[in-house]
Amino acid sequence: MLDVRELTVHDGRSRPLVRGVSFSVGPGETVGLVGESGSGKSLTARALVSLLPPGLRAGGSALLAGKELVGAKGLRGVRGHAVSLLMQDPFTMLNPLTTIGTHILESLPGRGSRAEVLRRLAEVGITDPAVAARFPFQLSGGMRQRVALAAALAKDPGLLIADEPTTALDVTTQAEVLALLRRLQVERQMGLVLITHDLRVARSACDRVLVMYAGALVESAPSGELDKPAHPYTSGLLRSVPSATHRQPVLLGIPGSVPAAADVADRCPFADRCTWVEDACTDHAPPLVDLGDRSTACRRHDEIDLGHVGDDDVDPTVRVAVGDTLLDVVDVVKTYRSTGFRPTSFTALEGVSLHVTEGESLAVVGESGSGKTTLARTVLGLTDATEGRITLGGVDVTSYRRLRKAQRAQARRLVQCVFQDPYSSLNPAHTIGYALTEALRQRTATDLATEVDELLDLVGLPTSYAKRLPAALSGGQRQRVAIARALAVRPRLLVCDEPVAALDVSVQAQVLEVLRKANRELGIALLFITHDLAVARQVTDRVVVMHRGRIVEHGPTAEVLDAPTHPYTARLVASIPGTAPRTGGETHVAQ
Amino acid sequence: MRARARIARKVPGAIPVFALGLVVIAALGGDWLAPYDPGAQDLANTAMPPSGAHWLGTDDLGRDVLSRLVSGARIALLGPAVVAIGVAVLATVIGLLAGYRGGWVDSAIMRGVDLVYAVPPLLVAIVVVGVFGGGYPLAIGVLIALSVPADVRMVRSAVLAQRNLAYVESARTVGVGRGRILFTHLLPNVLPTVVANLLLTFVSALVGLAALAFLGLGVGTGAPDWGRMLAENKGMLDLNPAAMAAPAVLITVVAASVTLIGDRVYDRMAARGRDVGRA
Amino acid sequence: MYILAFLGKRLFAAAVTLLVTSFVVFSLLAASPGSPEQTLLGSRPPTPELIAAIRARYHLDDPFLSRFWQWLGDVVQMDFGRSVRSGQPVTDMLSERLDVTLALGVYAFLLVLVIAVPAGLSAGIRRGSVLDRGVTLTALVGVSAPPFAVGLLLLTVFGVGLGWFPVFGAGEGFAGRVEHLTLPAVTMAVAGVAIVARQTRAAALDVATKDFVTFAEARGLPRSVVLGRYALRNSALPVITSAGLVLAMSLTGAVLVESTFALPGLGSLLVESVSTKDIPVVQGLALLTAALMIGVNLVVDLCYLGLDPRVRHSGGA
Repeated sequence: MLDVRELTVHDGRSRPLVRGVSFSVGPGETVGLVGESGSGKSLTARALVSLLPPGLRAGGSALLAGKELVGAKGLRGVRGHAVSLLMQDPFTMLNPLTTIGTHILESLPGRGSRAEVLRRLAEVGITDPAVAARFPFQLSGGMRQRVALAAALAKDPGLLIADEPTTALDVTTQAEVLALLRRLQVERQMGLVLITHDLRVARSACDRVLVMYAGALVESAPSGELDKPAHPYTSGLLRSVPSATHRQPVLLGIPGSVPAAADVADRCPFADRCTWVEDACTDHAPPLVDLGDRSTACRRHDEIDLGHVGDDDVDPTVRVAVGDTLLDVVDVVKTYRSTGFRPTSFTALEGVSLHVTEGESLAVVGESGSGKTTLARTVLGLTDATEGRITLGGVDVTSYRRLRKAQRAQARRLVQCVFQDPYSSLNPAHTIGYALTEALRQRTATDLATEVDELLDLVGLPTSYAKRLPAALSGGQRQRVAIARALAVRPRLLVCDEPVAALDVSVQAQVLEVLRKANRELGIALLFITHDLAVARQVTDRVVVMHRGRIVEHGPTAEVLDAPTHPYTARLVASIPGTAPRTGGETHVAQ
Repeated sequence: MRARARIARKVPGAIPVFALGLVVIAALGGDWLAPYDPGAQDLANTAMPPSGAHWLGTDDLGRDVLSRLVSGARIALLGPAVVAIGVAVLATVIGLLAGYRGGWVDSAIMRGVDLVYAVPPLLVAIVVVGVFGGGYPLAIGVLIALSVPADVRMVRSAVLAQRNLAYVESARTVGVGRGRILFTHLLPNVLPTVVANLLLTFVSALVGLAALAFLGLGVGTGAPDWGRMLAENKGMLDLNPAAMAAPAVLITVVAASVTLIGDRVYDRMAARGRDVGRA
Repeated sequence: MYILAFLGKRLFAAAVTLLVTSFVVFSLLAASPGSPEQTLLGSRPPTPELIAAIRARYHLDDPFLSRFWQWLGDVVQMDFGRSVRSGQPVTDMLSERLDVTLALGVYAFLLVLVIAVPAGLSAGIRRGSVLDRGVTLTALVGVSAPPFAVGLLLLTVFGVGLGWFPVFGAGEGFAGRVEHLTLPAVTMAVAGVAIVARQTRAAALDVATKDFVTFAEARGLPRSVVLGRYALRNSALPVITSAGLVLAMSLTGAVLVESTFALPGLGSLLVESVSTKDIPVVQGLALLTAALMIGVNLVVDLCYLGLDPRVRHSGGA
């Protein structure tokens, strides 16, 4: 049905961003396009519907039912009718000024009716007819994504391109939307191109998986055979995905970071990070070699053994924390009040109690709105709790503002933090060395230069990075600097708020390993906030599960994940991509 | 702010800098550069059109127009500079304080700002200077006082955008003091806004002070002032149009040059810290 | 409900602003140099009867606050007192001068809308084109161009040089008005056109990159729907805000433009009254300006209310 041949995308200065991508999609087939940031997967999708950002040009060919999509004028009659695009962010994809009903009605072919609008909404699981009269801002992210899906499918296209359709959603909603997408695809016998950064999602939802790296297609394989990869990058990517079922002794990432597509146009793009690289790999760009039902762009695929992914070792040690209580949180309530014309209040924490022992590692798991970030902020003294008590190393730190200066300084020395967004966690105006020196000064005044070097060494960065500005570092490197800055103070507790959520999976491991090292070798306790159960499993000994401002379950990480007792925890565990059966209808539609 | 046109880059960048440079040289050189004594009257040669001896002709008292323009450059630049720098310093300090402290300090400051924010500075300056007759210093005072609120708003919202970014919160948790956070972390990242506003304030003060002089409310008669010259030479539009057109063009050119330079400076400074708050 | 709350909030804020403004305006008399009766006497001979009459008329023997309330009571009934200079009631003077300024303001505002919005939109749509560069550069220069300088230059070129337009007076009848007010209105519109064109261009650029526009195109919606319901409606809000700003600032513009072209409007009345310290007239004009600005802001708020459901449903929080 869709036949893509040598598709390319170039920027305004004719540098390649996507080069020579070829694949085909049959009716009723689901093809996964997997890659990290900068792989060119989204540009490929945009090129197929001629909606590239301004200044970018597509080349090559893409035939949809015999009709050329690339460079064609007048895609009217094709877009929406033959091929439709579903985008990532449900919060920006809908027109904020018009109602849900209008969105569907204007998308329907011919003259639509209200009954048809309601039928289309019901198809995506929205059975409440009142929703049609609402505006997008009145709906949750999951609901908006359903509406967008109904609008995208309104003209009954034969092919849907879904660009990261679940990435912006919570884990449980993700599973629902994915199941919905699968169901509609089967019912309508529609071709589906699912673009995702998450290999687990692609494997569980797709018939075939295409792996892209730095603008090039490096491997294509049936999803059932992906555990025997034929390209070193696929292998590395698969091994980088942390396991949700057991703790790995070593977290394997891929060293280095993703290059820009234009810089590796005439060579194997993965060569710089590959274990099996030889001189010939950088001579020219290796072509995709057909191996029957799969293909690979590795020129050494028949010489090297990439093994079978999934048989890695299990770290059997069970670490039980013994020692003094370091952090004690008792019945903490946090209510946000907006004063003003119409006062509103919102309770983020409804009586949360937990403790962290010296040297222990505790995960706080929950979805957005669970209050996990608010909890971190109260512990860090960035916001004051409304009720309850927080003690840290024997000092009552419920309100940092009421502490005397010496006590506050003492508390600040005990606890440090690492935030989610690597791009805002370092001041763009100052060098890495400046940031680390500033933190070190809070503890010591001597040997600052040596200590900066030691810190960079500790987090696995070259000491020459001290002179660089944050803009010259990748996301993973910035996050490691942020950890180094926190460690500079020699804290006893490190609060990590989703430290790897914004990072590509191949560099997550480097950051997680540094955190594990800080915990195990330096004995720093971790309060690890995450939505990702697999990550929690790798880094923490104990876990508390939060839901709507309350702790609903707690216990040793392995026990909670293997045998959840609270229904919400069970749903979270079941929502981990790859754990649900490959086919099958929708499990649950929340309204 | 992103929408701030990037066209300035496409204009041959040297033109506004060159134009402004000439005016600055005139301001520095002053009477020394002027071909004639700007105050010297020549009643035998009044309202003469441009000639070899008087490039821009003479005014109705026979004074050389070019000399008066050169001589007026200093006051033309000095007044707006005082306003712009005064506003920038006050607004930055107040805006940083309001944005970072929050709470009642912020509310109190913003209440005041909201009240004065929409008041047109020039209109009030006209009334106040006209009624109280305070002349140039009062005009500068009024312009500063009434331009500060709009700038405070901008600085404050720039601070608010930065305040909860991870790098500021990390600095707080590391134990960096409030003053240090304000001046070494927030200030450098708010600076593009401050500098851009400084130049915009300069332009509106230039126009405002010239307008006051034009209406006869600014500097006293006699002293060469561009706005004043406009009003004085308006009557001889048919005899020597250059006498009036020259100061009009000059004010417009200086204002446009500073705006263009400001636009580019902002772009360049903002590009340096481009990825703050990118997520 | 939300709509009522929103309106109530805005009206209340407007009332408070007006009250504070009138207090400041009232204080002008007390604060101006010389005693109030001297100021109010102006150039008339200071006979005891006249002074007594003034003291009674302006309640000068009462305490300050009670004087303010009495004055405010008069003001609410549109009575600002009499001009010191001419002895005419201020209200009459204002209404006499109003029509020139109103005609000028409306003319200029129409020019702004007719020129700025299409120019900004086409520049935004054809980003980076010669047209775009031209519009942006012109707008940048226009924003900084002083109205009196522009006015005098236009006068030199089109009035004196080419003789296309009259140089003096406000004209009689509709055609005469238009002819006489064209140069002043163009002068007044320059800055407004620049401001609104910049905003429109920015809004058009901004909306073009929005996901919802891309998604609308990907669904194959007709171009008219994408342009109208998606692009135009979503870029309307910032444009309306800037247009409101321009309208609210038009009295400042009127002062300069009317003085430049010697037009008998409110702006030139302000300059005359200020230089002769005719305080009651200045007070009337100041309050009129404040009322105009507050009114414009209310209209802008109403536009938001009509266009943006988020404002409608959350009370503008």
